Order: sequence, then C-alpha cells, then structure tokens
Amino acid sequence: MAASPVIELDSIHKRYDTEEFAVHALRGIDLCIARGELVAIMGPSGSGKTTLMEILGCLSRPSSGRYRLAGRDVSEIDADGLARLRGEEIGFVFQSFNLLPRLSVLENVELPLSYRGVPRGLRRERARRALERVGLEHRWRHRPNEISGGERQRVAIARALVNDPSLLLADEPTGNLDTTTGNEILSLLRGAHDEGNTVVVVTHDPRIGEVAPRQLLIRDGRIHEDRGGA
Amino acid sequence: MAGEAVRQAFRLLLAHKLRSTLTMFGIVWGTASVIFLVGWGEGSAAKIEWGFFKAGRNMGEVWAGKVSEEFTPAVDRRYLWYTLHDVEVLRRRARVPDLIGAEAWEYLPAVHGSRALTVDVRGLDPEAIEIRGVPIAAGRQISRSDLEHRRRVAVLGDDTRRNLLGPGGRVGDWIRIAGKPFRVVGFLERVGTQLSRDRLEIDDHVWIPITTLQASWPSWWTDEPVVTKILYRIPDRRLLDASQREVRAILAGELGVGADDVEAVGIWSSLKMLNQLPLEQTAGLLFVLAATTLLIGGIGVLNMMLDGVHERRQEIGVRLAVGARRRDIVAQFFVETFAICLAGGLIGATLGILACLGLARLPFPELVPVPTLRPGILLLALGVLTGVGTASGVIPAWRASRIDPALTLRME
Repeated sequence: MAASPVIELDSIHKRYDTEEFAVHALRGIDLCIARGELVAIMGPSGSGKTTLMEILGCLSRPSSGRYRLAGRDVSEIDADGLARLRGEEIGFVFQSFNLLPRLSVLENVELPLSYRGVPRGLRRERARRALERVGLEHRWRHRPNEISGGERQRVAIARALVNDPSLLLADEPTGNLDTTTGNEILSLLRGAHDEGNTVVVVTHDPRIGEVAPRQLLIRDGRIHEDRGGA
Repeated sequence: MAGEAVRQAFRLLLAHKLRSTLTMFGIVWGTASVIFLVGWGEGSAAKIEWGFFKAGRNMGEVWAGKVSEEFTPAVDRRYLWYTLHDVEVLRRRARVPDLIGAEAWEYLPAVHGSRALTVDVRGLDPEAIEIRGVPIAAGRQISRSDLEHRRRVAVLGDDTRRNLLGPGGRVGDWIRIAGKPFRVVGFLERVGTQLSRDRLEIDDHVWIPITTLQASWPSWWTDEPVVTKILYRIPDRRLLDASQREVRAILAGELGVGADDVEAVGIWSSLKMLNQLPLEQTAGLLFVLAATTLLIGGIGVLNMMLDGVHERRQEIGVRLAVGARRRDIVAQFFVETFAICLAGGLIGATLGILACLGLARLPFPELVPVPTLRPGILLLALGVLTGVGTASGVIPAWRASRIDPALTLRME
C-alpha cells in the first residue's frame, strides 16, 4: 500500500545537555511510517525509545534533523502551533495513564476537545462515544481513583481517540498492567489500527511485538532493525 | 471558554479543600488584621484628637497676665487685660489665624424656680461661638444682634440644662443669673468628657452675649469692657508656633509690654499637647504591624501556591500533551488563584470591617476608640494579597508551561 506517510524522520538527533553530563539519546534516526500502520518500537531501557516517542508526539523538539508530521515540517511550527498539532493530530497513551485525578472519567476524555473549542454539548457527545468504544460508558461519572488500572488505561485510550488523531502514540501502555488487562488494552489498540488509525507503540512487551506487523528495534539511539516495514 | 475556566477553577478548589482553605486562611487573616489594625490605630488617634478638640478645633487661647519680672521690678508688676478694641486690632492685623473671637467669664449664681446653682457664665461673640464649634441641640445660638442690643438671652450647656431647669426645662424658660432675668433661647448639644478644658466643661456652661456680660457685671478694676480670653483658630495645626509669635507680638504692642513676654501674653493650645503625643508613631507602629501581617500572609499564600503548582506539574504536562497552549495553562491557573485570593480577600475584608463595627458598638465608647475604616487601606490589603497570591500561582505555572511538555511529564 502506497499510502502517504504520516511520519517522516530525517537524521533526527537529540542531545540532553545538563550541567554534569550530556546525553546523546538519539543519534540519527531515519524513519517513515505510512498512514494506517501499526508499529512497535522496541528496545532496552535507555535505548532512546521514549525520547523518540516524545519527538514523534511533538512533546519535545529534536536537536537536529527534520520531522514531517502529516506533511508539515514540525521545526517550523511555534509552541502554540505544536499544542494545536498535538490536540488535533496526536493521541497519547502513557504507561502511568496520566489522567487528571480531579476530573471525572468523562471530563478527562473531553479534555482534548475543550482545548479545541468544541462546544460543550458536542464535546459530551463525542466523549461518550469514545467511552463506548472502550466499553466504559457506564463509568463516565467516576473519578480515576475509583476505577481499576485497566479501566484507567481504557479511559486514556478513549481520550487519545476522541479527536480522531492521525497518530495514536502509546508509551508502554501495558507496563503497569497484569497480563489479562494488558491483553484487553492490546486488543483495543489493534482495534484502533483495524479502524484505520496509525498506531505507534513503544514497549518492551514481546506480545505487542507479536501483534504488530512492523517492529523497530532501537539500540543506542539508532534504529538497529526494522522488521516487517514496507 | 471563560465561563468554563471559572467553573473548572471552582471544582478544582473544592477538590483541593485543605490547600484552598489554608491559602484562603492566610489571605483572610492578612486582610482582616490589616483593616482592623490600621483602622484601630487611626481610630485611637482620631479619638484622642476629638477629645482635645471638643472645646474647639485647632484653637489657641490667649490670656492677659502680669508684666514679667524681667521687664519690671517685682513690686511694680502690673495686671493686664484685653478689651474688645484689642480683639479688633488683632483681627485687623493677624494673618495666621483665620478666625478670632472674644470670651469673658464669671462664676455666678443662677436660679430657676426652686433650683439654684453656681454656673460658669461665658460671654461670647459669634466668632468665639464658631471656634468652640458646639452644635445647638434645641432653640437658637446667640446672634450678633443679641450682642448689639445686649440682650439678656442665654444658651445652656447640657448639664446646666438638666441641673437648673430639670426634666421639664424648655427653650423660652426664664432663669435669673445673679438676680438678673435671662431668657433661655437654646441648648447646646452634649459635649461629654473633654481632654482639654478651662474651668468647667462646656456641659456646665451658660453662654450669654459678651456685651451683656460686660454691661451687667463690669470689671472691678477698670471701666473698660474686659475680654478675659481671646480665642483664635488656625487653618492648619503646623501653624501653631507661627500663630503664637504673631498674636503675641500684636497684643504685646497693644498692652505696651515686651514682644516676647510670655507671662504678659499667655497663649495655650491643646494642639501643643496633641503634637507632643506619639499619635503618629502609634499609628505608624500599627501600620508596620499590619504590613508585617500582610507580608507573612503573602508569604504563606506564596508558599501554598508554589507548592500547589509543583504538585500539579504532571497535570500541566498532560494538558499540554492533549493540546493546551501555554496561555490556556496560564489562564487556568490565573482564574483559579485569582478566585481563591479574591474570595479570601473579600471574606477577610468583611471580617475586618465587622471587627471594626463590632468594636464601635461596644457599650463604652469613651474608653474604646472607634476604628476608622478607610477604603484606601481596604483596597491596599485586598490588592497586595490578591496580587501576591495570583502572581505566585500564575508565574510558576507559566514557567512550568514554558519547558518541553516531555520534561514536565517525565517528572514524577
């Protein structure tokens, strides 16, 4: 399939310079991910995979190199523009869920829409539909601390999908979950992929590797292996 | 979006009950104590000033004494007195006082029906009456025409009215002063305890036209109509020394004594005592105390807010990740902190005002000063704490939203 690329990375470097030491987390990443792909980014701790995900998610900028997201050069976009890009094009799922504890499940799912200025009624409607998609519509009133870990991650997935993003980024989505709930999350991610979403999962969970048609192995800030890629 | 932000802010405030309460307590305490302390300080000063000014505001009193020994042999020290002519000269030539009045007095027996007592009879001219500044409770004040016709009319102080006329006393009653009939044309309002007085307090006075007093009870040692005391008023209390120099110089010229003979021309003013009291220092001390309270309150608020923002860095990161712009974060924290600070400030202001009003309603107003409420102080207290609180909530949020969301999210 010759779909247009969602992600194009061209010799991306990322250095962290602190007072004591400098870390060269990414040392030249070239990568192209097409629309509708499901990609697992794997590698040992400290290999740079989380940094890569942060750059893919526009949560931080590369030190050098070019990143085009959905055809737009990210380095030319200012901070507010990046915020809008994250809100509209990217959905995040984090290892530690990152739900806001003071908001209800429904309000957490609504959050990306509220920053896009979607009117309240429509927001509510879309958030409910997203919750239905992950099977949690009955939990909408609860606070995150009133539901289980697996349910929290499903809420996070609903939040990530509520905007119909071009890219769903998941960072160790099963890392804090037991096997059964982990499998539920995996099938949700796969479901999102089946519906045509582009999904990138950072993980060292081998099960995800088995599920994903394409696997990237990162080692020492470089792509060590690209299995099943187009 | 603004309504949304406010709604969210209040929900979050409710969620962080303890922190909100503590933050608000700092602001409430600071605002309330500033308003109360400053009000109380000013009220105390005002009360003392008021006590001194009951006999006349910004008033100087001039006596004629004896030529002092420095200027004449002791055996030859002559007695001095003023006349209405001296008062006229003073009025023409003195520049510093804005009003000059004449007063003469006698202790005399007064009779009404079967009641009799010795009263402090004051003969005054309209200027002296204006300087004394005691309002009329009923009837009328002594007029210039009363002076011209030397009418036998009297205005009674509050205690004199009660003691001489009794409960049935009214305007129009007749009294006898040293055998001469006088018609009561008015009553003075109650003055109360004076911090400064000459002879009896005003409540024990009987006021009559000065010309009537001079004609009815002439001086024993001169045919001239004697003025016992010259009263003058200055527009500003800082002019006291200047006014004393000027008045003494003019009157000394009239009396033919040395221009700096303080025994011949005696001048006394309650302003002198008032100026010696540490009123401003006391008020200043209370102000410093209040400012310190404000500062401590401010630091408390600052600490709470900084803590709150630090705790919520992850929240800021999440919000940035799902599409919040920096200004969305800043706006959210602004609304939250502003709401909490303003609510605390308003509660504090209310408490402070209530404390002031409560103190004012205590049943011993002579002992407890009534706090003065000043809108300026109120706004200052409110403004400082709300400002500090809001800034300490917004600035760290702004800084947290400025770094890469990735870093904010990684910190746990």
